Amino acid sequence: MSFWAQAVEIARVDLRVERRLGDILRVVLPFAVVGLLVFPLALGVDLSAISLIGPAVFWAVGILFGMQVALRQAAHDNRERRDLYALLGVDPAARFVGRTISGSVLMVGFLVVLLAAMIVLYSPRLPEGWPIPVIVGLFLTAVGLTELGTLAGEVTAGLRNRTALASLIIVPLALPLVIGGSQTLESLARDTGILPWLLLLVATDLALAVAGVAMARPLEEASR
Amino acid sequence: MLSPDDTSLVGSNTILEGAGASLGGRSILHGLDVEISPGQVLGVAGPNGAGKTTLLRLLATLISPDQGSGFVLGARLGSPDVYDVRRFIGLMSHTPVVIAELTIRENLEHAARLRGEDPKRIDTALRVVGLAGAAETRGDACSFGMLRRTEAARLLITRPRLLLLDEAFSGLDVDAQELIDALIRRTIEQEGAVVMVSHDEAHLIDRAARVMTLSAGRLETVT
Amino acid sequence: MNRVRILLATAGIAVLTGLWFAFISPVDRLQGEFSRILNLHAPFMWVAFLAFGVTAFASIMWLIRRTLRWDRLAVASVELGVVFTATGLFTGMVWGQAVWGRAWDWADPRMASTAVMFFVYIGYLALRRAIPDPEMRAKRSALLGAIAVIQVPLVYFSVNLFRSLHQTQSIRPDGATMPREMLTALLVNFVAITYLYFALLVGRLHLARLEEASAAETARGPDAVTPPRLSEVKDV
Repeated sequence: MSFWAQAVEIARVDLRVERRLGDILRVVLPFAVVGLLVFPLALGVDLSAISLIGPAVFWAVGILFGMQVALRQAAHDNRERRDLYALLGVDPAARFVGRTISGSVLMVGFLVVLLAAMIVLYSPRLPEGWPIPVIVGLFLTAVGLTELGTLAGEVTAGLRNRTALASLIIVPLALPLVIGGSQTLESLARDTGILPWLLLLVATDLALAVAGVAMARPLEEASR
Repeated sequence: MLSPDDTSLVGSNTILEGAGASLGGRSILHGLDVEISPGQVLGVAGPNGAGKTTLLRLLATLISPDQGSGFVLGARLGSPDVYDVRRFIGLMSHTPVVIAELTIRENLEHAARLRGEDPKRIDTALRVVGLAGAAETRGDACSFGMLRRTEAARLLITRPRLLLLDEAFSGLDVDAQELIDALIRRTIEQEGAVVMVSHDEAHLIDRAARVMTLSAGRLETVT
Repeated sequence: MNRVRILLATAGIAVLTGLWFAFISPVDRLQGEFSRILNLHAPFMWVAFLAFGVTAFASIMWLIRRTLRWDRLAVASVELGVVFTATGLFTGMVWGQAVWGRAWDWADPRMASTAVMFFVYIGYLALRRAIPDPEMRAKRSALLGAIAVIQVPLVYFSVNLFRSLHQTQSIRPDGATMPREMLTALLVNFVAITYLYFALLVGRLHLARLEEASAAETARGPDAVTPPRLSEVKDV
């Protein structure tokens, strides 16, 4: 089977497993929305302040809970399953790409629903023509966050406290994604050009993709 | 890239020369000299902690030796060549490995697709292993015996040239044990080789032409 | 199954009747046509409270009796309660956007407390999914179900405890604060939506029994496993 066919098959099965487990829809997403509720309740009833912080809270909650989406595969991964894929002749790079594809689909869905919830709860003042640039920025952030999560999962494979360690790796490295995503909206509001921020996201995603594919085999060998 | 039925691998021996391996900084295997020819069944006996599972993982090319050298199906251990031969190796681990959220049939379909195998063989494999009536059972609802049979079906589909069995008979009824025996026989008939590990020598003596005994990572006797 | 079908069909008729009353009743002078939404919003929230109350009762009964049917009732009622709460929140937001100019108002304690209650019961369902053992699942759910109901009176009386945009109770012990025709439409919808809840609850319980029977059938794995056909190994 070709590289891309393997990647698509890995993604297909991963999405099927997630459909059956329902971790994102039933657990992560509801509690991310609860995360959105916490900030205004803590801030008190200052509607203009709530409206102002909405987008920032979205990105903060999106990244923190998005890590759970990005790392969910790591929770189900173990040495025996990695060995099985190795002996089925699956290229580790194809596994990385496949997981990135499935994870990105889930992450985009997660962030879109979270965005909708933020807009309803915070009533932020959104600039003219916001949907397309924001959705594009959100998509690129979702892909980057998924790549980070998949990489972090591979780096920490087989280690104790894997989930906590992986989270520690992801958060600082996700900062360019947060900046790129949030500044896309800010730049639109200030009418100062969104292209540099979108390019930052594209560059980050490409760098992570290259790193993931190039490091896939060494990371797999190191995890044994 | 070698094709699934590349016969140039037939006749390639598997050899370890003075091989040793470590895990987690601890030396598990030391100075092993092993040769496994096609058509052979090698048994490896030994107590818990002797290194039997590590030996199988070494032969499966999943770990590299840190002493000596080794070749598995013609590929040097620790070299990129192992990626070409892994698809010809089958491993039945101590615990059956299936994706719990998928049904038995879906697990086999997934393996067959990744290997580019004909999906029609899945129905035949399910019938042969006695799981045709349970094919839609999810992995997490299967008994241990059903999971073992699922693995056997997967190995029937993937047709390994080197079959590695780690305590494969443990916890199985007579029917399932006979199935594993049939898998071994087929591998041998197709000029493959089999390495079986068990803490119970009685399992090995009836089935293996040679039996090694491993103790504390060292080869002590060959019978 | 026939009983369930009859119940659901008659519940459908009841809901349609309620909608008809909602459309023919007079509207509020200030809210206009949007006041009709309250004929759905209030009954949905009432039924959500009822559902969570049923859950609490069933949870306590499970803790006392330890029989499966109480656990079945508790979770079926939570599932419906979550759906009715979501619908109540949604209709409330539509009404709020039309009448207050904003779908969500942080100044309204009932809105925020209802959202919190909603997510607590989402957590109840998530907890159940995480526990494969039926006995342990029933026990932990029962404890949560019995405790979580404390939110219902807090949500209901929040409009009295805190000054907010949300209107206080329209139907009180000393009489109603709305015209007779509007009150009639509201009461018809209360009855219809409550009947809908009971019909759906019976249907869900029936489904749960079928799911358990199916799971038991699948669990009888050995019947589905046959002796291997060793002579056909070469055919694979």
